[in-house]
Amino acid sequence: MRVQLFATCLGDLIFPDAVRDAEALLRDAGVDVDFVERQVCCGQPAFNAGHRKAAKRVARTFDKAFSRDHPIVLASGSCATMASHYLPKLLDIEPYEVWELSSFLEHLGVEVASTNEGRMLAYHDSCHMLRDLDISDAPRRLLEKSGATLAPLERSDLCCGFGGTFSVRQPEVSVAMADDKLAAAADSGAEALVTADPGCLMHLTGRANRVGGVPIVHLATALRHGVGASSG
Amino acid sequence: MADLKQPAERFRVIARGKLADPRLQEAIDSSTERLRSHRIDAWSELDDVEERRERAYEIRMRAVRDIDGNLNRFRSALEARGGHVSVCASAEEANAYVVDVCKRHGAKLLAKSKSMVTEEIGLNDALEAAGITSVETDLGEYILQLEGEHPVHIVAPAIEKTKEDVARLFTEAEGVDVPPVLEELTASARRQLRHVFLDADVGVTGANFAVAETGTVVTVTNEGNGRLCASLPRVHIVVTGIERLVERMEDLPHLLSLLGRSATGQRLTSYTHLVTGPRREGEQDGPEELHVIFLENGRRNLIGTKYEEMLACIRCGSCLNVCPVYRKTAGAAYGPVYSGPMGAVLAPLLVGLDQAPGLPHASSLCGACTQACPVKIPLHELLLELRSDLVEERTAPFLERLGFSLWSVAWSTPIGYRISTRLARLGQRWGSRLGPGRVWAGGRDLPALARKRFRDVR
Repeated sequence: MRVQLFATCLGDLIFPDAVRDAEALLRDAGVDVDFVERQVCCGQPAFNAGHRKAAKRVARTFDKAFSRDHPIVLASGSCATMASHYLPKLLDIEPYEVWELSSFLEHLGVEVASTNEGRMLAYHDSCHMLRDLDISDAPRRLLEKSGATLAPLERSDLCCGFGGTFSVRQPEVSVAMADDKLAAAADSGAEALVTADPGCLMHLTGRANRVGGVPIVHLATALRHGVGASSG
Repeated sequence: MADLKQPAERFRVIARGKLADPRLQEAIDSSTERLRSHRIDAWSELDDVEERRERAYEIRMRAVRDIDGNLNRFRSALEARGGHVSVCASAEEANAYVVDVCKRHGAKLLAKSKSMVTEEIGLNDALEAAGITSVETDLGEYILQLEGEHPVHIVAPAIEKTKEDVARLFTEAEGVDVPPVLEELTASARRQLRHVFLDADVGVTGANFAVAETGTVVTVTNEGNGRLCASLPRVHIVVTGIERLVERMEDLPHLLSLLGRSATGQRLTSYTHLVTGPRREGEQDGPEELHVIFLENGRRNLIGTKYEEMLACIRCGSCLNVCPVYRKTAGAAYGPVYSGPMGAVLAPLLVGLDQAPGLPHASSLCGACTQACPVKIPLHELLLELRSDLVEERTAPFLERLGFSLWSVAWSTPIGYRISTRLARLGQRWGSRLGPGRVWAGGRDLPALARKRFRDVR
């Protein structure tokens, strides 16, 4: 089995460790991982803001970089939605086979190392992953396989308030939404809040750095190292 | 109509005020959560929700796509039973029609039941200007009328008000002490409103649906005020949008069951009132005269466009109750009429995108609205379309368009990506001092660009 890893721009630039963990999880599962150097970004930031010409320009880098010979795997629910749903329509091209990391690992039926034995974790559903890709069980099952007990996170389906440019167009509402999410995580009794989306991770971490809260960890890192090693 | 106009910055200004009021936050939170969970419970009784949503979409779109055929059928059917039908292109036209009917009957007092279309056209102001007293008889709307405010939720208009607020207003209105106890409050409302139903010369209601085949106007309420407005006064005027039409009577039960379940979690609302014509000879009740006004006000322009699905909306409010942005801001930020995701889509379509450029961006695009919509309107995708139109029409700010253009040129090649991200890393210490970075940093730490990108270290 060979896959093409899409780092995504946030993964490449801000959370390279999470992408490394994703790559390692895939390799541990016996998957051959190609990293295409020409890749840049799927164009989602511009697309969601309504700038379709700009989005197309950037989305074409995706189309140039990836082949249809092997599945594309990425550790981001929202970029997976863009790449699988919107990008082909935007560029009027055939769809690619795109997998969000946790659903791909579940699909392979991989074993997960016991990295979170005895730990209590909360999982935050990112919007596009939950509602567009309909993936909610896979990340939870993987966390449980890693030994974690899942804390009941109230309204785990509520948006964290990032929403791309929404976060700077309506900063007060956006921050209030993040606060609700952080409060729910604290109330859940979890040691850490896990998310499969770099966007949510960036937003919630940015807010938690100001006001405190449980650590927020990317799913790939949580599975690979356990939440205790979240900074690594 | 001017009411639907929303300058770009208005949403943020009002939202700030709402966020700063903890009592109000608590009120919206608990009310929307109650409505949301009631809907989920009511839907969970059904084992074929998806099929029902599909069928509702089909019924609604079939009606919308043949609006003129349906209008003609409705007109023939109702006129044959002695009713009057008028299609009004604008708010002014519709208001003038209502005022004219009132004047012809020498009406002084008008009893009104809840209707978002009459909010949209500003009917009460037009009536007041003509010297006619219009009293809202829906409890929530009546509370707001006493307070001099506009509805903040299309189903639960006074969702922000607590029982203490209502007790204060009723005490002032009645001149006797009304305690903040639910039974006392409803008894007070009954005392205040009963004479309005009995004394009113004209009753105005909206319509949830209008059945073309039979010329029937359908109104659902939980307080029974709608049927009093429709049956006690001598004249009954219905003001509704052209898109409320459905083709056949057999379409109706399906839509009613979804409307009640989605709006309040009821299998059917307490009162479902079907009116087909004025009182006929030998009948005991009903108005002597019935007028049905179908308002266009921009709706017709949507038919056949990528936005026509918005006309399928049945005004159940589900999208408001699930929206995390609505949940933090309540309705006022969206404007005085339509709010939440449906309002963010509909208001700019009715009034012109350039008149409400902030609304399509008043969403994190989480998609909860689309998932909750009983008639399967892809609300978050329509918001994406509106955002795209804002850019195409150059309504989006110049600097924003320039920024995305420059970014996209840089990121259209791997080398441009490399250079721009290197530069960004060098410049990131200033990131929190200007532009979007500064706004972000108002409440959050800016993310640090990693010293080495993933591709440089793997």
